[in-house]
Amino acid sequence: MPQAPRMQQPAPSPAAAEERAQIRRLRLASFVEATTLLVLVFVAVPLKHLFDYPLAVRLMGPVHGAAFVAYAWSLVTTVSGGGWSRGEIARLGLAAFIPFGGFLNAGLLRRKRAALAAPTGARA
Amino acid sequence: MPYLWLKAVHVAAVLLFIGGLFAQTFALAAAQRGDAATTAPLARWDRLVTVPAMLLVWVTGATIAVEAGWFTSPWLWAKLAFVLALTGLHGIQSGKLRRLRGGDLPSSPISVLRVAGFIAAAIASIAVLVVAKPF
Repeated sequence: MPQAPRMQQPAPSPAAAEERAQIRRLRLASFVEATTLLVLVFVAVPLKHLFDYPLAVRLMGPVHGAAFVAYAWSLVTTVSGGGWSRGEIARLGLAAFIPFGGFLNAGLLRRKRAALAAPTGARA
Repeated sequence: MPYLWLKAVHVAAVLLFIGGLFAQTFALAAAQRGDAATTAPLARWDRLVTVPAMLLVWVTGATIAVEAGWFTSPWLWAKLAFVLALTGLHGIQSGKLRRLRGGDLPSSPISVLRVAGFIAAAIASIAVLVVAKPF
C-alpha cells in the first residue's frame, strides 16, 4: 500500500530560532523568579516570624534577588529585540512583583514562541 | 566567604562585565553598518562570560552591602542607580544586536561614542562612590 507523502515543516529562519531561544530563556527565568518568590514569602518569612528561624530568609533573600535580576535582564533583552506591545511588556514586568505572577507568564510566552514557529513568521 | 575574597570576586566580575559591555557597544556600531554577522562570536562570549559576570556582580555586591550594613548609606543607592543603568544598557544592546543579526535594519542607530562615554562616566562615578563614600 503506497504511503502518503509526509509533509515537511519549513525550518525556522536563524533569526526566528534565536528569538525562540531567547523566549525560552525568559520562560525559565520567569519560572525560577516565581518559585524563589513563593519560597521566600510562604516558607522563609513564616519560618522567621513564627518559628524564630531567620536563616531561611538570609539564604533565600539573596537567591531570590539574583533570580529577580536575571529575570529583569532577560525581560529587557527579550523585548529590546522588538515585536512586543506595551501591554505585554507591562504585564511581564508586573508579574515579577506578584506571587504566582511568573507562572501566569507561561501562556503568553508559549503563544509568542508558537507565533515565531508559524510558517508565515508572523509575531503574536 | 571572607570579606576580601568576596571583594576580589566582585571586582573581577565587574572588570569582565564592563569589558563585555564596551565590546558589545562597539559590536553594535559595527552591526549598524551592515556587519552584523561578525558579531556572532561576541554573542557567544556575552552568553558565556559577560552575563554570568553581571549576575555575579549583583550577587557579590548585594552580599557585601548586607554584611557591611551599607544599605542605609546614600552613596550605595547612587552607586546602585549607575549599576542598574549599566545592566539595563547591556540588556537593550543585547536585544538590538539580536535583531540586527536577524536582518532587521537599525530603527534608531546609537551614537557609539556617546554610549561608550556614558559607560566610562558611570564606571568612574561608581569607583569614586565606592572608594571615597562621599555621603
